[in-house]
Amino acid sequence: MGGYGDVQMIDENGLRVDGRGPSDLREISIETGVVPVADGSCRMKWGTNEAIVAVYGPMEAHPRKIQRQDRAVLDVAYNMAPFSTTDRMRPGFNRRSREISKVTKDALESVVLLELYPRSKIRISIEIVSAEAGTRCVGLTAASVALADAGIPMTDMVVSVASGKVNDVVICDLNKEEDNYGEADLPMGILPNSGELVFLQMDGDLSQEEFNQAWQLNMDAAQAIHEKMVESLKGGDSQ
Amino acid sequence: MTIPLVPKLLRAHLRELAINESRIDGRQRWEGRELDVESGVLPRAEGSARVRMGDTIVFAGAKFQIMQPYSDRPNQGGLMCSAEVRPVAGRHWEAGPPSPESIELGRVVDRGIRESGCIDVDSLCIIPGEKAWQVILDLFAISDDGNLFDAFALAGIVALRNAIVPAERFDIGEDYPLELSKTPIMCSYHKVGGRFVYDACGREELGGDERIHITLGDDDHVHSLQKGLKGIFSPNEFTEIMGHAQDRTKELRKIVDSL
Repeated sequence: MGGYGDVQMIDENGLRVDGRGPSDLREISIETGVVPVADGSCRMKWGTNEAIVAVYGPMEAHPRKIQRQDRAVLDVAYNMAPFSTTDRMRPGFNRRSREISKVTKDALESVVLLELYPRSKIRISIEIVSAEAGTRCVGLTAASVALADAGIPMTDMVVSVASGKVNDVVICDLNKEEDNYGEADLPMGILPNSGELVFLQMDGDLSQEEFNQAWQLNMDAAQAIHEKMVESLKGGDSQ
Repeated sequence: MTIPLVPKLLRAHLRELAINESRIDGRQRWEGRELDVESGVLPRAEGSARVRMGDTIVFAGAKFQIMQPYSDRPNQGGLMCSAEVRPVAGRHWEAGPPSPESIELGRVVDRGIRESGCIDVDSLCIIPGEKAWQVILDLFAISDDGNLFDAFALAGIVALRNAIVPAERFDIGEDYPLELSKTPIMCSYHKVGGRFVYDACGREELGGDERIHITLGDDDHVHSLQKGLKGIFSPNEFTEIMGHAQDRTKELRKIVDSL
């Protein structure tokens, strides 16, 4: 985190730079079937983040050395398009996108019923075409909607959301400025039906009390986001 | 890109359709798919477009960087055009370094835009020999159901037409729109079942042979040509294609102008 404590990000009324209250989410819209050639797909707009996820498979896993005799493997790639950031992002993998791909895969492998498809592969391509802050959360959430759209059996969908701290106030769903100048960031991957977790990261500085507050903000937000995810899969208006 | 198996049945079917003057998706020989063009769709890009042709969907995003002019052209800025087709766009596209197919895509679109002279590269110079704008046009496929070439070229020119040079961010004065003097448009033709068709879909590409790409400028001037894949074509076939391209590029230019 940047941790520039002197930048005032919360006004005297407790409102944030974009006018939200501490627990308010940015605007979210979800649409499925946006990649017609894929088996399942999802576009998720979250603030000015936009992720497009395509799911292909289950299909033959090759090269054969990646095959597992008793289950399917997930091939997850998180990538930022070159025009998704203020300064152009050079195409290709970097350490950050490799790490996010890995933790996203770890989260999704915890919910997909992999043992139903031995020796096969399910490919999940997460493309960030517009980045603000919290793209890993958008990517993971959109990926679970795309998996559901592809009809892949899962124990639950993963809802990912981050809370953090700016000017010593615990807030939910950090935007770009809050992410840059904030003091902490706590992204989580939550199973909304059980309240269990499959993804957890954190960086910054939180007291035990602040940590508990941020945790609870994420838990509450996950329920609200889950409703929109279900709505989009029913073909309804997710706005 | 993995090489897909082309079932003999598909090729035979396409040949039969060609004899009966029809196509696998019911279109006429020279008929394009339903087209949807949106501009200014990417908030982080200085210019952007999204093009949908049937089930083919692409984005184009224009970004600007400061570059040092090349020593043999100290008064000129630069244009770079790159195409990326990642695994998101179809099951036969694989991760890894750019494939020859996606490099060809980027280069053919690049030539059409560059050689038309629609961007005045001299106007991109800020300080001769020291500082100039480099325009980077990134073409990005979301869904590949054939003819990425035309989709990329169309998205590319629309993205450039609504691009704003971000001078303020680089402390070089006020933002201003990038000026384009021409609108080069590409039309692509694939040989399917023994005859050329316009705007091939994925299955036609899969079961077809060679392809020809033509980029025409405002006055029907030819700015780039490319023949791709294995196959032989006659001068008469080319004349027929060129005739259609002249009409079709005018229609498409009208759509671009109306945005």
